[in-house]
Amino acid sequence: MTVLEVRNLSKRFGGVFAVTDVHLQVQEGELLGLFGPNGAGKTTLFNLISGTLKPDSGEIFFFGEKITHLPPHVRARKGIARTFQIVQPFGELTVLDNVLVPLAQQELTRLLPLRPYDSLARRKQAMEILELVGLAAWAHERARNLPLGLLKLLEVARSLALQPKLLLLDEPLAGLHLQESEQLLDVLLSLRGQVTMVLVEHNVRMALPVCDRAVVMDAGRVIAEGNPEQVRRDPQVIQAYLGEREDA
Amino acid sequence: MDWSTLAALTVDGLAVGSIYALTAFGLTLVYGLLRVLHVAHAGVYAVGAYGGWLAYTLTGNLGGTIVVGTLLAVIVGVFLEWWFYRPLQGKPPLVPLIGSIGLFVAVGDLLRILFGPYQQSFPVLPPRPILSPLTLPQVAVVGSTVLLFLLVYVVTNRTALGLSWKAIAQDLEMAAAVGIPLPRYTRMAFALASGLAGVAGILVGAYYNQIYPSMGSVPAYKALAVVVLGGLGNPWGTVVAGVLLGVIESIATAFLGNQFPPEGVAFLAMILVLLFRPQGLLASRIQG
Repeated sequence: MTVLEVRNLSKRFGGVFAVTDVHLQVQEGELLGLFGPNGAGKTTLFNLISGTLKPDSGEIFFFGEKITHLPPHVRARKGIARTFQIVQPFGELTVLDNVLVPLAQQELTRLLPLRPYDSLARRKQAMEILELVGLAAWAHERARNLPLGLLKLLEVARSLALQPKLLLLDEPLAGLHLQESEQLLDVLLSLRGQVTMVLVEHNVRMALPVCDRAVVMDAGRVIAEGNPEQVRRDPQVIQAYLGEREDA
Repeated sequence: MDWSTLAALTVDGLAVGSIYALTAFGLTLVYGLLRVLHVAHAGVYAVGAYGGWLAYTLTGNLGGTIVVGTLLAVIVGVFLEWWFYRPLQGKPPLVPLIGSIGLFVAVGDLLRILFGPYQQSFPVLPPRPILSPLTLPQVAVVGSTVLLFLLVYVVTNRTALGLSWKAIAQDLEMAAAVGIPLPRYTRMAFALASGLAGVAGILVGAYYNQIYPSMGSVPAYKALAVVVLGGLGNPWGTVVAGVLLGVIESIATAFLGNQFPPEGVAFLAMILVLLFRPQGLLASRIQG
């Protein structure tokens, strides 16, 4: 089943073509890697899919439904969750409350969302998610006091609280040292099969081998697509990365 | 000055400060969500006062006075959000700010056209002593303010709505990304803010037994001072700052007499805070 389909998607900033005529399909349960040098248009593509940006042309389908013009919060509630390149915790809230924010949106079915946001059932649900990513011990700490590695885990936890059908991960490993990277990657791999994921990552050496399939972008276009091994050997991919890194 | 005079001044200051707090709370709530100074908020306050006065003049019923004034303020506030602030989202902050000042003037003029430029008496709370030496208006103002803020505390700290407001205030983009419907929750914030301003308008009209079309002017700029004192976007800091300012003004006026207008206290304090503690007097102490 196709979770996400992007057709002919284009976005321009002034004279710069950030995303040009991109086609993309994401299948249910897969972990798709999205790679490419800086400025390739990966984050812009994420912003278009999550609704932060509106495309100039092209269409986006989520489980066959056209979502091209829906606002971000509606897409989130349909099951598109994302993490940001630069972590954006709700710093003044506790770790637990950070996860309760998306969970509390279930209240939305009501006219006035005035019932307690942290019902017992919901707290339990939030704690389960925190345990899954290994943050349970930090539940009552203010988010802004957490180091970067844990904040990245919190981003993932908060996304999972949306019970997403598609998880967009924008450079989750950036800024982490090896041990933290491995911990986060373990969490992501434990979700494999349950949540469909698109992973943008600069650390190609770590991320490429774990992907089911990889797509490579350069200068706003998709230049290669296939299984990790094919992509790694693709001459166009090597060309695009030349001078930037030698390990692709 | 003897103790009983000081006590009387303090009580008067608490009443006036309660009204500052009710008005400024909404201003800071809206600022937190939209990053816009809603100057027309003081217009909503005047609308609430006039709505209450109208209901009182027509029916003489206290409950009706409160309900009509508050509802009218809520309707006008939510209308302003939908008609004015929403379309201006994403524009440079100066645009809604200047527009908001214009709106505030327009609301005052509209009241003048509808009801005349005169002061109207609003004797809904006769100043008879109860709980002597406290008078009925003092008890009513402080009492209803305490009750309202208890309610507001529960809403902001215990409900999904309050939690979502905090999330929006801290990170708009992330809030949308986790499924918070920004327009709907912003509208609810305007409703709460405007309701509180409406009640404040009714209370101030009743407290001084007078309302007039430009009655929002003093609160308009004084609420700005209160919001700065409390730390911009820090609602509970605003409440504390409002009450403190009321008390200090009241006592200072008695000491300094008429040579120094009470408005001066607010702005002297605001200037000092901006110079020496721009994050607000109470920032980081009383957060969210």
